[in-house]
Amino acid sequence: MATNLALVEDETDVNTTSDVNISFREVVALLARSWPYYRPQLKHLLALLAMSIVSGGGILVTTAVGMDILNNAVLVGEPITDLQADLFFVDETYVLEESAEADTERQLLSDEQRHTLRNHFFAWSAVLGACSLAIYAGGYWYMVWIFARINQALRVVMVERAEHLSLRYHSESRTGDAMYRIYQDSATITNVFRNLVISPLRGVVWLLGAFLFLLAFSPTLALISVVTAVPVCALFYYSTPHIRRWARQARETNSNRTSWIQEVFTGIKVIKSNRAEGIVFDRFVADSQQALDAAFYLRFSIAVLKVGVTVCFMMALLLMEYLMADWTITEKATFLGGTVAFVGFAVWNLGAFQTAVAQASQMNGMARELAEFWGIGQDLVVGLKRAFFLLDLEPEVTEVEHPEAFPIPIASVTWKDVNFAYTPDKPPVLQGVNLQAESGTITAIVGSTGTGKSTLMSLLLRLYDPDSGEISLNGTPVSQMKISELRGNVAIALQKNVLFAKTIAENIAYAVDATRAQIEAAAKVACAHDFILEMPDGYDTELGERGGKLSAGQRQRLSIARAILRDTPVLILDEPTASLDAQTEHQVLQNLQAWGRERVVFLITHRLSTIRNADQIAFMKDGTVSELGPHDALMKLDAGHYKGFVETELYGIKDEVEASS
Amino acid sequence: MSEASMNKFDEGMYDDRVDTETGISSAEALVLMGRSFRLLNTVRGLFFTKLFLALLAISPVLLVPWFGKIIVDQVLLQKSFGETEVLFPPFMDPFISLFSTMSPMEIMGAIVITYVVLIGLFGVRGGGTAVALTFNQGQDNATQSEAALSAGSSSAGGLFGLTEMLVTVRLTQSIANQLRTRLFDKLTRLPMITLDDHRIGDSVYRVMYDTPMVPDICYKLTLVPLATILVAAINVYLIKYSYGVVAPEIVWIALFMVPLALVVTLPMSAFARRLNQKSRASGAATTNAMEESIDNISAVQSLGGMDQESAQFKDKSAESYKRFLNAWMFQMFILALGGTLTIGMGIYIAIYISDAIIVGDMSPGDFAVMLGIFSSISGSALLLGSLWIGLQTNIAAVRRVFFFIDYETEDVNREKVPDQGVRESVSLENLGFQYTDGRWALRDINLDLKVGELVAVVGPTGAGKTTLAYMLPGFLKPTEGCVRVDGTDIATMNTDWLRDQVSYVFQEHMLFSDSVRDNLLLANPVASEAEMIDALMTAGAWEFVETLPQGLDTVLGKAGDSLSVGQQQRLCIARGLVRETKILILDEPTAALDPKTEIALVSSLRKAAKGRLVVVIAHRLSTIRQASKIVFLEDGRLMESGSHDELMAKDGGKYRQFVELQSNSDYG
Repeated sequence: MATNLALVEDETDVNTTSDVNISFREVVALLARSWPYYRPQLKHLLALLAMSIVSGGGILVTTAVGMDILNNAVLVGEPITDLQADLFFVDETYVLEESAEADTERQLLSDEQRHTLRNHFFAWSAVLGACSLAIYAGGYWYMVWIFARINQALRVVMVERAEHLSLRYHSESRTGDAMYRIYQDSATITNVFRNLVISPLRGVVWLLGAFLFLLAFSPTLALISVVTAVPVCALFYYSTPHIRRWARQARETNSNRTSWIQEVFTGIKVIKSNRAEGIVFDRFVADSQQALDAAFYLRFSIAVLKVGVTVCFMMALLLMEYLMADWTITEKATFLGGTVAFVGFAVWNLGAFQTAVAQASQMNGMARELAEFWGIGQDLVVGLKRAFFLLDLEPEVTEVEHPEAFPIPIASVTWKDVNFAYTPDKPPVLQGVNLQAESGTITAIVGSTGTGKSTLMSLLLRLYDPDSGEISLNGTPVSQMKISELRGNVAIALQKNVLFAKTIAENIAYAVDATRAQIEAAAKVACAHDFILEMPDGYDTELGERGGKLSAGQRQRLSIARAILRDTPVLILDEPTASLDAQTEHQVLQNLQAWGRERVVFLITHRLSTIRNADQIAFMKDGTVSELGPHDALMKLDAGHYKGFVETELYGIKDEVEASS
Repeated sequence: MSEASMNKFDEGMYDDRVDTETGISSAEALVLMGRSFRLLNTVRGLFFTKLFLALLAISPVLLVPWFGKIIVDQVLLQKSFGETEVLFPPFMDPFISLFSTMSPMEIMGAIVITYVVLIGLFGVRGGGTAVALTFNQGQDNATQSEAALSAGSSSAGGLFGLTEMLVTVRLTQSIANQLRTRLFDKLTRLPMITLDDHRIGDSVYRVMYDTPMVPDICYKLTLVPLATILVAAINVYLIKYSYGVVAPEIVWIALFMVPLALVVTLPMSAFARRLNQKSRASGAATTNAMEESIDNISAVQSLGGMDQESAQFKDKSAESYKRFLNAWMFQMFILALGGTLTIGMGIYIAIYISDAIIVGDMSPGDFAVMLGIFSSISGSALLLGSLWIGLQTNIAAVRRVFFFIDYETEDVNREKVPDQGVRESVSLENLGFQYTDGRWALRDINLDLKVGELVAVVGPTGAGKTTLAYMLPGFLKPTEGCVRVDGTDIATMNTDWLRDQVSYVFQEHMLFSDSVRDNLLLANPVASEAEMIDALMTAGAWEFVETLPQGLDTVLGKAGDSLSVGQQQRLCIARGLVRETKILILDEPTAALDPKTEIALVSSLRKAAKGRLVVVIAHRLSTIRQASKIVFLEDGRLMESGSHDELMAKDGGKYRQFVELQSNSDYG
């Protein structure tokens, strides 16, 4: 159990934002960081605001005008004003004549006039209704459009960051986690301002207004609302950490579930072959349940807050209503009624009662809305923090401000006193490596598995930076070069042959522009041309997921062709021929030798046949180059490690051959 | 252009290679609805609880306007009951008889006390006390799915509303999760050849983001119409009761909205489905782009493809937003259409009423009442009428789910489960395998493999070695001939049983970002620690596992990336060994191993071969020579088989040439 716990903590260090105590300052900082994504959409946001103000104002004015016309003129038959007549396109016979003001009997509109006015009124209603509908639907769409752009901007930045983060981060974290952050967590950005800035501001202003209004009517009512605010504030205070905890849990469990699905389908072969579908399924069900529970309790805690706030305010409202009913019956004077003219209600009457109730209800409604927006806002903050977490990770491998050019032609590649460990707590992989390779040579890197051969090459590509020491080309340190230029000039065929679900041609020409002729030439060097032509659509054959439909040997050759096509001064082949048969291997290596003149070529391999043809052999042991030189020289070393390695290969086999014969 | 080719929209535009026929006819849509509806079967208890609560929640709200009226008339204006002609509805009778003897302030007190109880329990009081949380976030399908997965609300508040909301959240989750687990299970059981074509990101998308759309279908088919009709009926009844005869035309005209909305939207339903399908397919393509580039980040970075991948993601993501906005625009259009219908009908009815008023059949005060009745009933009617078009959005998602639930899995017609494991042999009879594109991978293979043998499968790359090995655990099905285990054709046997007999160690090393222990337990859930260590030792992996910070419990990074490739390979071999099955297949087990480890591994494999059938695909002579039987393949045909010495004795034999070439380049 203890070890498990430690592991969980380990994981949180890398993957999660562990504390739920997000300070006010942090929230402000998160909002400030969101602003740059809103900024480019500012003109659209302002346009949207203008749109809603215009349509809102328009609706307000037209209802005011329209209601009068409908109720008084159409339904009752009273004459209208000049302005109304102009608005509704009717002549002055509809208008109230000032001279005959007293004679109201004669002033009623005729039935015909009422019909005409009604028709004009409904024509207006139809036009205005259609307009406001269009503005409403259009505005809603416009808002989503703006938000989509804001979110897209953040997503793209996040993906760019994820692509550039050092492998040290990636190898420790799960793919699904990054996916969840980029997809789900980033989406919180579009609502966070509404929930945490606009809504609370508006809420507070309204609450204050309603409070002052009530105070004008009666200090008792104001006191009741202040007293009510105490349990309400307590509710907010105590529920916020709960909500945040569940929000974080919901996001983490969902991220885990995403990761699990992604990993299962990446390793589906292993699962099938081990008949582990059941185990995997059980784990999925358990993960799902956890995620569902977290979502459930998140909603539970927000709903409790909301219901709690509602009940508190409702109870206060009832108490107020009871008191006000009493005051109304006794016609008690209102608090400021006599002195402040605008309040208008000197004594409690029906109007005062209803106005006060409306204000108290308003307060209640605002508090409810505030509770919901606040609660959900916590989830948004947690999500936003997770999203920005990815952006906060600085790529460990960074570029200098004024990079030096990649030296061409290349003369030498040098590792000098290089030390490297993947993480500080793990044993170092490389310890004081010194190695130099000249142009026009092939260097074979040999040694047992896990001695740091691939790591050595990763450092040259700056997938990682060494802890100390230096790697340089023609004496220029790689850390002084532009990363894209460096990687563009060093081609590598990886040990794990990664192919993408694209066509064969696209896979070979990955991240470079190349003509079909160049692609074919590279495929020929890698002995891949023939089998490619046998595929149904040749070079345009779509490969399955992760290059699924090819054999390992075929994948390996495509991977080599990819490295060759890049036509770079430095070429690294990591176990290039492990999955090839002897004949193909022989041919590929011969082609490479012809192709590799004027280049620096590194081969990581176990195969003697490959090793012997190299110009120099670097034998690695315990994270360092223990022996360096051509085959013959190394074989002459007494008790040399390389000699031991070769002899194991030779005599080991001899022993077995003797044993079997 | 035919309907079918129209429906097969933009094939290749997104990443679907398996699920390409995405058109849905209205009949299919109905079938999908029916299947979604049946999901309710397993959550009947929760569902009926929700139904009961939802219908009950309507009732307390009915009291509110009448209490309001009493407060104004009887309390504030101190009138007595019965002064006006308006009748209280029958459910108010107990209150009226209680209140009629009270003084105004006593009535107020009684109402306040009733409210205290009702608010605590039901949260009643106009102005939306409902417990509803709007979790909607994000502007595409994927980001809205989380909110949909746990959606739930109540039209009531208080304890009742809280309860109803929580019940609904659980109900929604249960319906979606039920479908989701079924889909996940089904996807893992798809044939290997289908999975080769199917994008990982797409699986994630379907499981995570498509399934949450199903609960809504269930609700739209049951709760929504029921509650809507009930509310409309109550409204009609109350108004009739209180205001006497309501002009029946108003009710009929309002109800006319149902067929009208249906007829107007019906021709658009196929279009709506297509829009939503595109929106989802492009979302899945975005997921694919992200998944592929992040999961293969080491390759992307070392090949300098970061900018290309970012750009690709940017395009796909922009496309998915665009598609979502298209679907959203359609939704807004439907919204505006509904609004237009309401306005049109509203104006018609207003003309009808105002005519009556001008003529003098109705009084001006009736206008607002009648229009209010009309709008409440027509609102319900419009909701019913637009249900069908609203369902199309969900149908698009659910089709994507049911497509794979219906997909033929590996386990069809496989009931036969032998009562014991493999005893004697596995034989291949006239076996052939042809790809769907017509190429032959294997032809006319006849081979007998006995338990106790160590068989090496040898041949140039692309000869069909892996394809041959895939036949044994049934990863691929022969297109000709058959594979027999102890004389029984495996096509008739249970796949689970068969896979229990075979351990397969793949060429690609696939580890999960779990602990070493969990990775081994995946293969054999009951393996003891001693057995695990034993397997790790045999595979030459114990020496480094032992030095890991937490030993067996060390969590591996993404896909085991924190280990070197050679170490990953050894762990994979250990995972194959820990299962202790009768048949063990190793595909190039030693490719990434140094000679020392290789020799140790091969000799332990020889020991393991006693009582087992071990099949090794290999290029290395050192490995091959130790096999008791060598099978030489070329161009999908079996060229030679026999022991090393037998095959070496053949002058000009293929195997002999192969060995000579390798020896030459190795030692010549």
